[in-house]
Amino acid sequence: MITVKNLNKHFGDNHVLRDISETIERGEKVVVIGPSGSGKSTFLRCLNLLEMPTSGEIWYNNECITARDCDINLVRRKMGMVFQHFNLFPHLTIRQNITLAPIKLKLMSQDEADENALRLLARVGLTDKADAYPAQLSGGQKQRIAIVRSLAMNPEVMLFDEPTSALDPEMVGEVLDVMRELAFDTSSRNGMTMIVVTHEMGFAREVGTRVLFMDEGRIVEQNTPREFFAAPKHPRTVEFLSKVIK
Amino acid sequence: MSEFFNNIVLWLSGIWTAFRTDFINNFITDNRWRWLVSGLLTTLKITFLAAIIGIILGFLVAIIRTARIQTGKLRFLDTLCRIYITVIRGTPVVIQLLIIYYVVFASVSIDKTIVAVIAFGINSGAYVAEIVRAGIMSIDKGQFEAGRSLGLNNAKTMQYIILPQAFKNVLPALANEFITLLKETSVSGYIATMDLAKAGDLIQSRTYSAFMPLIAVALIYLGLVMFMTAGVNRLERRLRRSDNR
Repeated sequence: MITVKNLNKHFGDNHVLRDISETIERGEKVVVIGPSGSGKSTFLRCLNLLEMPTSGEIWYNNECITARDCDINLVRRKMGMVFQHFNLFPHLTIRQNITLAPIKLKLMSQDEADENALRLLARVGLTDKADAYPAQLSGGQKQRIAIVRSLAMNPEVMLFDEPTSALDPEMVGEVLDVMRELAFDTSSRNGMTMIVVTHEMGFAREVGTRVLFMDEGRIVEQNTPREFFAAPKHPRTVEFLSKVIK
Repeated sequence: MSEFFNNIVLWLSGIWTAFRTDFINNFITDNRWRWLVSGLLTTLKITFLAAIIGIILGFLVAIIRTARIQTGKLRFLDTLCRIYITVIRGTPVVIQLLIIYYVVFASVSIDKTIVAVIAFGINSGAYVAEIVRAGIMSIDKGQFEAGRSLGLNNAKTMQYIILPQAFKNVLPALANEFITLLKETSVSGYIATMDLAKAGDLIQSRTYSAFMPLIAVALIYLGLVMFMTAGVNRLERRLRRSDNR
């Protein structure tokens, strides 16, 4: 579904991603972990071109999205993204946050979009917040709305950029529950395709179908969660896991 | 004792009579108040139309300049915009007005009010541009990324996500700019436009009294500004709705 070929990214003199090649299949739940500064967020943000790669190619469903003639806006409609800091639109109500893109891109009528928004809000248990503004919500609620806002575009793949890192500990669970439900959603055959950058090892173990460990701009090691956490091979992985899992 | 009070009453009634004569002489005789009314209408017309030009120009310039900063495109237009802002903010508005009237439109016969509208519109645009640019830059980068990640293009993200928030943030500064604009139009008299300030002048030149016409003109400007401020405050309250917790 997504194929990355020899991806490199520089920020000035800083070589953040070093020659990454990777393929992600439909239905996979790929969890990307690694120390801070390892390039995992940058890697994720390259996949929908929020960061422009310095070199390399990214293919999405047999289309080279790094090519000059590719309309990235059409590709992004199919790739939802959830940010660490939610990035809800503070001047719009929750309902408007969710319906803005489908309506303005003329994918749905106002009525269809409203109906869809309420259905999605019910799914995360926040129907009563439809007419509230983001400032009136807790962090956990904001992130659940942010997920719903992405889902309103009916994406084929969801990118999560440290979705629980900015949350109070007590609110992490409710967001992970929504992500878990999304991963095991039976309405599509294998659930949603997900790529998750996170520090939540429990989530990686339980939901992930594959774990990528990144360090210094490279994917150092990857494996199924069971193998990865039970028998890490690379010394950097062993060191990292010994620090985060106590 | 009663003589003392009588003197005070006499003194006060003397002042009142003088005031009354002065008032009648300045505003009632020859219907001179009509000059103030027509001057006021001209001032309002110039301010309103110049503000519209200022807003359009200002938003355009601000969008071009932020696009240049964020994406590195539009280099030529950005240079033009920077020259425009530098020149307009670097020279007095009276000189700009005179240049537009005596140099740019020298050989064309054109309504002076229109000349004033153009001059003040171009002038205001430069200030609005910098205010709006500050507003756009004050919006978190994540807002832009969230819009783009949903598949909205650059223009739609600006229109529906960035500009509404930026506008709310800079509303007090914009109101300030338009209050300044209203008062600055009082120099329109330099090209013999019959605005409010010039109407006061005209009365003074007929009656040789300074107090009445000048105070009247000042009070009218004050009233206008207070009215504008009240309107902006209401708008601000409405836009602040989403901040309620």
